[in-house]
Amino acid sequence: MIAAAVQRLDRSARQLAPFLTSVVLVMLSALPVYLPGYGQVAVDVGLMTVFYWAIYRPDLFPAIAAFVLGLWEDILVGSPIGLHALILLLANWAIVSQRTFFQGKSFAVIWCCFSLVALAAGLASWVIVCALNVTVMSPVPVLFQSVLTFGVFPFMAWFLARAQHAIIRPLDV
Amino acid sequence: MKHRAESVAKVTVPIRALLNRFALLFLIIAAFAIMLLGKADTLVVERARSSVIDVVAPVMDALSRPIATVSEGVDRVNRFFSVYAENAQLREQNARLLEWQSAALALAAENSTFRKMLNFVPERGASFAAARVIGDSGGVFVRSVLINGGMVDGIQKGDAVVNGDGLIGRVAESGRRSGRVLLLSDLNSRIPVVGEKSRVRAILAGDNSPLPRLDFLPPNAGLNVGDRIVTSGHGGVFPAGLPIGRITSIGDSGIRVEPFADFYRLEYVRIITEFPGEVAGRIVPSAARPSRPK
Repeated sequence: MIAAAVQRLDRSARQLAPFLTSVVLVMLSALPVYLPGYGQVAVDVGLMTVFYWAIYRPDLFPAIAAFVLGLWEDILVGSPIGLHALILLLANWAIVSQRTFFQGKSFAVIWCCFSLVALAAGLASWVIVCALNVTVMSPVPVLFQSVLTFGVFPFMAWFLARAQHAIIRPLDV
Repeated sequence: MKHRAESVAKVTVPIRALLNRFALLFLIIAAFAIMLLGKADTLVVERARSSVIDVVAPVMDALSRPIATVSEGVDRVNRFFSVYAENAQLREQNARLLEWQSAALALAAENSTFRKMLNFVPERGASFAAARVIGDSGGVFVRSVLINGGMVDGIQKGDAVVNGDGLIGRVAESGRRSGRVLLLSDLNSRIPVVGEKSRVRAILAGDNSPLPRLDFLPPNAGLNVGDRIVTSGHGGVFPAGLPIGRITSIGDSGIRVEPFADFYRLEYVRIITEFPGEVAGRIVPSAARPSRPK
């Protein structure tokens, strides 16, 4: 009886792992790093995790998870509230709807697709923030951020793959 | 039985699919609604933000310490290599400052005699709270930092935040034990300032670039590159005379000011919680301020 309960608990904890790792990674990305200029173009960790899980384990990362993660990012980073919630939600939806395309594709292809998603997400958030503030801001930092996020993605993907292997794989066995 | 289960599935599966589809639509609408709410009713959103940040602030505080230590270590090693040049520079600066010190002492003596002659009533001193920066980033669209001080420390929304170099910004949200500081380079930062020598008033407006802009200047203001800009104290929100920065360029893109404070290396900041001439009750009536241990 107890063993069964523990097993169920273990299972749900593992199922929550993609969301919880994303929450922790977003919090870590909000810590001060004391690098000149980094704060302006900080990589979008939320987008990377949403992209990864939407491709590899969409069953464990539903739209509501993307939405909540986005709100969490907005609160910690101080961006207009709801901005990341919307962007991550749309990113999640876009990737999940193209799932058949991603199946069995090499990492290079996935990385290229990520660059498109990062660019689209950057531009969309730039448009929204400009509209919210009724000004036209320079789009250069957004482009920098997209490029930087693109560059960091393989490392993040490697880390998340390790996490997936260690925590979630036992679910499938 | 099996037949029945199949017919139930026939009905429920499309309904589920429909619900799933609507869930996405509902979440998208919710995201837009939250965004508009954040624009329209900032107070509700600020409270919600502050209460969440209050909960995670201790964790972020603890996590940011090792990073700060590493950064300090790197800094120390870097400084070790420039110790000779820095020493020479400091000697020169010390000589210059000693001259200033004697000038200041003479002026202080002169001032006190004048005050005696005028029966001048001395102003109350300002009070400060110190806090550590626990969250940086701000990301692409905002220039702000999280601090580990809040209402409990007497920090309120609107308070001026400084460090040893000059003004950094103002407190934009204040939770119980945490707060968010809007840097003066942020798009939404507007600070009444005055040229230290020219006494020309203006508004220092951030635009997310490292160099904020001077707005609402009278024509032919007579400002020059290199002029120091300080807070004017108008509106009673900030104390007057806090150093902000120096004019770096006067051109088509407006007059740009380079802040004295280095926003990338903020570790500890001081919050001016009370100052002489403060307009009481600007955000919360001063009687409602939590009492601080003196």
